[in-house]
Amino acid sequence: MRARDQRERHRELGWCLALAIVLALAAVSVYPVFAEAGQQWWLPVIVLAVGLLVAVKRRRAGAILPSALILLGFCWLPLARYYAFGPAYRYGWWGPVPVPGQLVLAEAYAFLLLGGWLAWRQLWRHPAAARLVLGRTAGRSEAGQPWGLLLLPAVIAVASLATSDYSGFWAPLTVLLLAGSMLVIRRSPDLAARMAVAGLILLGLAGLAVAIGAQRALRFGDPSGYPLLGAVIVSSEVMVGLAIGEAVGLLGLGCWLLPRAFPEIRSLASAAELTRRVQRLTESREVAVDTAAAELRRLERDLHDGAQARLVAVGMSLRAAERLIPTSPDAALALVAEARETSARALTELRELVRGVHPPVLADRGLADAIRALALDCPLTIETDIDVPGRLPAPVETACYFAVAELLTNVAKHSGSAVARVSAEHAGGLLRIAVTDFGLGGADPVRGTGLAGVERRLAAFDGVVAVNSPVGGPTIVAIELPAVLSPCA
Amino acid sequence: MRIVLAEDQFLLRDGLARLLEAHGFEITAAVDSAPGLLRALLDRQPDVAIVDVRLPPTFTDDGLRVAIEARREVPGLPVLVLSQYVEQLYARELLADQRGGVGYLLKDRVFNDDQFVDAVRTVAAGGTVMDAEVVSKLLGRRARDEPLARLSAREREVLALMAEGRSNSAIAQRLFVTEKAVSKHSTSIFTKLDLAPSDDDNRRVLAVLAYLNG
Repeated sequence: MRARDQRERHRELGWCLALAIVLALAAVSVYPVFAEAGQQWWLPVIVLAVGLLVAVKRRRAGAILPSALILLGFCWLPLARYYAFGPAYRYGWWGPVPVPGQLVLAEAYAFLLLGGWLAWRQLWRHPAAARLVLGRTAGRSEAGQPWGLLLLPAVIAVASLATSDYSGFWAPLTVLLLAGSMLVIRRSPDLAARMAVAGLILLGLAGLAVAIGAQRALRFGDPSGYPLLGAVIVSSEVMVGLAIGEAVGLLGLGCWLLPRAFPEIRSLASAAELTRRVQRLTESREVAVDTAAAELRRLERDLHDGAQARLVAVGMSLRAAERLIPTSPDAALALVAEARETSARALTELRELVRGVHPPVLADRGLADAIRALALDCPLTIETDIDVPGRLPAPVETACYFAVAELLTNVAKHSGSAVARVSAEHAGGLLRIAVTDFGLGGADPVRGTGLAGVERRLAAFDGVVAVNSPVGGPTIVAIELPAVLSPCA
Repeated sequence: MRIVLAEDQFLLRDGLARLLEAHGFEITAAVDSAPGLLRALLDRQPDVAIVDVRLPPTFTDDGLRVAIEARREVPGLPVLVLSQYVEQLYARELLADQRGGVGYLLKDRVFNDDQFVDAVRTVAAGGTVMDAEVVSKLLGRRARDEPLARLSAREREVLALMAEGRSNSAIAQRLFVTEKAVSKHSTSIFTKLDLAPSDDDNRRVLAVLAYLNG
């Protein structure tokens, strides 16, 4: 408990340090711009102060990000004006690409919007701080929120009108944009997220175009040095590099967020996969149904020709014996003995039948021991290495058992090997079984029906079969299928 | 001779009890579930127990498990296990303690009551009785092995009957030969398989089964 508190405190400390560093850097780089543009310096300071106040009040670092974003937005606003109207950029910096300050302006709006929204969320969760900043509007019921939402854009509008000659067309548009966005965020966060992601991608693309245009302009002669960011003299190459970096960053972020904001994209991508899966399922279901029907027919035939016929014979022998007892007891005795033998044969046949339907060891002990029993019954010497600690779903057990039985029969019939090895393990929700022999090799799943049968049998469980059988051996047949292991009873 | 009988199907339990009583055995307890069997085995300490593999509560191999557990508690407690199926895996588990006093037979063998009663007596006396089906599978599996391949057809027959747990006289009767001839075959088999010869029937069975299982 104490350790966690300490970690928490360290984290907060780290946040505050990071904030201090970022702010110091921002102040150093931005201050000259404000100075040159005649921008009032107090607005960002107020924003920052409010942000810090909230941070301190909440004893959390959560309010720092929004205030930093808003600050960044305010820093960007004069830059935009510089691009648009500044004397240094009136001619040719961007070459033929006509980019006034709109792009930078858009960035400024984005920062303001994001920061404002985050700040709003923080304030709303903390009514005391909200009241401190926004007065009585905050902390009211939900119904008050839309109006409260308009407060931030209004503050920004007043601030931008009051602080600059930057007015006319852009100021009301800014306010409108902000207000509209806030309402969209409030009413439909999903739509807002989509718009934001689309915006990020567009900004990134536009930024790339601009930067590439600038680079071309640079290459074909540039008229002057570019004292961007005021007193901090940076070379044009560095600026272009920064612009490209920023554009790529925005683009990357947008693309990364794209499938999160637009789930349909993900489903579009998986639609093809789904179609394939449905097709596979249809095929494997048909096979499963066919196999089940064929098995039932075989069962019926075996019972009819085997055990049933023998029981009829038993009944007839006993009836005949009944008749013979008074007249010739010896003959009757022979008939009874015959009936007993026939009933024993019927039992043997029933036993074989049941073994083919559901082997007793499989029912008693599960797959691991059933494979061990199979190995013992097999005429070859089979080494087993089985690590399946628990029971699998009954249909999976049965399918795997008969798959292994089929594979061992194949080994006995075709490989010429007297030794084989069965290994099985369950890990990470997957059951893996491998049957290895050291015989002739050259097994071809396309030619033989055995391997194809194994594959069909397992397809119903999303199982896959891999065959590696170079001529000269060894042959490894590996089975893998998803299966949930439950602990032994 | 006192017998504990465990079989969940009433008709079979009743039939077995009557058959055994007709041959002079005393049924000291007839139970229908695994927990009941364990209690009866440990409390009554019978001369021999006759146990069905599949018993309640789980209707899987409860009977077998109880038999093995009881033999761990009371080493050498004679148990004859009956089942609709014989599995080599289960035969191995029963034979694992190498103590004798173990039988493993198909239920069908009850049809021949003389042989069945012989088997019960053999197990009670500490002998070992394996079902012919288990033995034939064991032999089938090792058929290609070098030492077994050297046995003559008659020797194989004798080996199979020895593995089932039959005495020389029973084998002689079965094969319509003299006991002396059986004894000659048996010596030859032991030489060919490189096993230490033994006059003790029980040790002979265990040696043969261990060899076949190996």
